Amino acid sequence: MTPALFARGVSIRFGGLAAVSNFELALPVGGLYGLIGPNGAGKTTLFNLLTGVYRPDQGEIRLGERDLIGSAPSAIAASGLARTFQNIRLFHQLSALDNVRVAQFAHRRTGLVATLLRTPAWRREEEADRAAAEAWLTAVGLEGRGAELARNLPYGDQRRLEIARALALRPKVLLLDEPAAGMNPQEKLGLRSLIRTLRDTYDLSILLIEHDMGLVMDVCEHITVLDHGEVIARGTAAEVQVDPAVVEAYLGSPEAA
Amino acid sequence: MTRVLQTLMDGVAVGSTYALIALGYTMVYGILRFINFAHSDIFMLGAWFSFSLAGVFGWTLAGATPPPWAAVVVLLGAMSGTAVLGYAIERVAYRPLRSAPRINVLIAAIGVSLLIENIGQLPIAFGTQPQRMPSLLPDAVLFEVSGVSIRLVDTLVIGIALGLMAALEWLIYGTRLGLAMRAVSTDAQTAALMGVPVDRVVSATFAVGSALAAAAGFLYASKYPGINQPAHATWILLGLKAFVAAVVGGIGNVRGAMAGGLLIGMVEIFGAAYLSPHLRDVYVFALLILVLLVRPAGLLGRATVEKV
Amino acid sequence: MRAILPWVAVLGFAMLAQVAVGPVVGHYWTKILMDVGIAVLLAVSLNIVNGFTGQFSIGHAGFMAVGGYTAGILTYYGGAALFDLPPGAVAPGIAGHLWFALSTLVGGVVAAVAGVVVGLPSLRLRGDYLAIVTLGFGEIMRVLLTRTEDVIGSAEELATAPWTTQVVSTGGSLGFTGLPFYTNLFWTWLWTGIAILVAYRLKESSTGRAMLSVREDEVASGAMGVRTTDVKVIAFAMAALFAGIAGGLFAHEIGTTLNPAELGFQKSFEIVIMVVLGGMGSVTGAALAATILTIVPELLREFSEYRMIVYAALLVVVMLVRPTGLLGHREIWHAWRRS
Ligand SMILES: Nc1ncnc2c1ncn2[C@@H]1O[C@H](COP(=O)(O)OP(=O)(O)OP(=O)(O)O)[C@@H](O)[C@H]1O
Ligand SMILES: [Mg+2]
Repeated sequence: MTPALFARGVSIRFGGLAAVSNFELALPVGGLYGLIGPNGAGKTTLFNLLTGVYRPDQGEIRLGERDLIGSAPSAIAASGLARTFQNIRLFHQLSALDNVRVAQFAHRRTGLVATLLRTPAWRREEEADRAAAEAWLTAVGLEGRGAELARNLPYGDQRRLEIARALALRPKVLLLDEPAAGMNPQEKLGLRSLIRTLRDTYDLSILLIEHDMGLVMDVCEHITVLDHGEVIARGTAAEVQVDPAVVEAYLGSPEAA
Repeated sequence: MTRVLQTLMDGVAVGSTYALIALGYTMVYGILRFINFAHSDIFMLGAWFSFSLAGVFGWTLAGATPPPWAAVVVLLGAMSGTAVLGYAIERVAYRPLRSAPRINVLIAAIGVSLLIENIGQLPIAFGTQPQRMPSLLPDAVLFEVSGVSIRLVDTLVIGIALGLMAALEWLIYGTRLGLAMRAVSTDAQTAALMGVPVDRVVSATFAVGSALAAAAGFLYASKYPGINQPAHATWILLGLKAFVAAVVGGIGNVRGAMAGGLLIGMVEIFGAAYLSPHLRDVYVFALLILVLLVRPAGLLGRATVEKV
Repeated sequence: MRAILPWVAVLGFAMLAQVAVGPVVGHYWTKILMDVGIAVLLAVSLNIVNGFTGQFSIGHAGFMAVGGYTAGILTYYGGAALFDLPPGAVAPGIAGHLWFALSTLVGGVVAAVAGVVVGLPSLRLRGDYLAIVTLGFGEIMRVLLTRTEDVIGSAEELATAPWTTQVVSTGGSLGFTGLPFYTNLFWTWLWTGIAILVAYRLKESSTGRAMLSVREDEVASGAMGVRTTDVKVIAFAMAALFAGIAGGLFAHEIGTTLNPAELGFQKSFEIVIMVVLGGMGSVTGAALAATILTIVPELLREFSEYRMIVYAALLVVVMLVRPTGLLGHREIWHAWRRS
């Protein structure tokens, strides 16, 4: 079966720095995979490559059957690849509900003229979108918070709002960049079950970057480990945990210490 | 042939003035990533400070014969005056906005620009009448090449401009201050962590950029002595073309600004001479659009990817 | 029904302004109220670009010029041919006014096309290039317009001039003089009302939210499927459309001349100031600031020398103490309710 997301030989350099080299991944439909590695390993850069923010120097990226190389980020997003950002990038001056509704724009059928005339078709679509957006907020545990400005939400809720916004794109594949960063242990527990529920309820395939090893090892069925832009190990949680290359990458080589 | 040479001379003279102004735009952009809209007004003030200073010495009176060192005094005086002003503007209007969205700084800069122009027009400042800059740079026909007279004033304008650019090259690539400037422009945060006094470097950048613009103002007024009133459209337009030069050369790139300035000067003067003298501004902006379309990072600029 | 009511209200409001307000306040204030309407139209439209999408256009007067001259050519030369009158004469009855309305609209459309042409290369890029390109565009328009031929004043001369000559006979730096005075309170406030309604409906719609998202974070916006360049170009074209219409109104207003010097970057800056002071993104804020900044200088004519100094200082101070302008992103009724 065609993987939901496929990458092969993906590389990018920034000046002299090989930020990602020769990356490979086949995320199956419905899979929940993890991507880990020390700071600066190239994880976020990989997300930027997959979502078209950066264009790879080489390599192949496909979403289902669709070739993503050279497509604009907006086209990639609209075709079913959604993401969250490590350094939260919400639309701060907009309400939580409007943040979610922005992501629905790509799928709107009524055009500008209908918008200005407020035709019945426009009104129906607007109503349906609003209800859907509220449902997405509820799905991530933000029910009733739609009117609040994004910037006024507490940190953990902002991370959740990012997820709701990504879901509103109705993606096939969801990329989560350190969703647990800055959350307290209790919030992390909530997030853990949320990630599982999302995958099971919405037929999503998920790729998760996370520094919280407990979380990754627990929810991900497969883990890829990056270091200095290169894949140094891949396998189940149990496999990568004991991989000497992984241990060395995290603890540093004996000579360096 | 005659005409080509003459046009070339004018193109280099005008182009080197653009280059001097463009340097200020590009240095500020390189460090703070915003367009200092008030920079064209600093250039204007350079010309008017020069005129006023000459007036203080009585050199603007009819029949006055300024001594040979007059140009030096006026040039250095105008440069120091605008350097102080550029420093002050950054302190008062831009520094408090250092972490604000860039659009706010841009608007503040437009405010400063309008403020300078409109205060400059007041009777207590320079008034609303155009003035005639006395010829402080000596002029004579140096020699003739196939019918073209190479004039001393043109040669001096070009010489001073190139001299100042060489001095700037030395400042940026040969001194500790220049090293700090390059560090801040590469990555201000890291530079600050490494102990570079970012605020002082920014101040210095504004002072140096403003002084260069003032020099451009002096040189421009020496070549074209009719100086327009402070709020006249020509000033903004000249500043704008210098900014275009910075963009065409690659904004943030010092050598790019020099090259861009000369290129814009050539395009404008050759266009004016051989196509139509009335559309000189149109050529410059057409070139800008062309560059933005095919090479948005400018001729010498490198395309950079914004970190996400 | 609910969707149509506001349009009817705008129409009614414009008619009321014409038949009830105009005669009561007299010629002097009628003129000021037309100036106010045009200023509001300009500010509200520029706000779509600067306030909604967060881009920075400072060439609004250039689009005003495109629209004004286009409409002027249509009413002056076109009107003469159409109604068989001497050039510049006001065509009698409703026909003349309908021709004027059509001319302003065409002016707006031409300005919108110019907006797309100017916007496409610069809106692709992030950053402040748009500011420079729009300023450059405004200046090029001004320079080109000063190069046009003298206005053809007599019917005899006009009879022998081909249309290709007519369209470039717009008076050069002296201005396009002799345009018929069609602009009245009805047309001014009809277009202004339409612009306010369009801007407001836009803001409260998915297209408008897409624009706001570009302002807030362009990268995130693209990552959420918004075609950011398209959205910016749409905003830019809409703003140019209304600026062109404002130019048409300005051109046919009594007591103004359509000349290149009037429509330079000073004018553009004035519009920017209105938007910034009113609050970037606030439709009512822009309208309010445009009203105040048009009426107050009128009342303080003795101090006109200092007007721009005060504006400029205000601009800097507002950026330092209240960077989002008077109303911020909010509409006037929100500000009422909360603070
Ligand atoms: N646009 C860019 N230009 C230059 N260098 C970049 C750019 N983007 C990323 N890098 C560099 O690439 C390397 C990988 O960065 P990346 O953000 O992908 O790491 P990461 O694995 O996500 O780390 P962290 O766990 O800290 O988030 C870093 O050295 C970073 O500085
Ligand atoms: Mg990262």
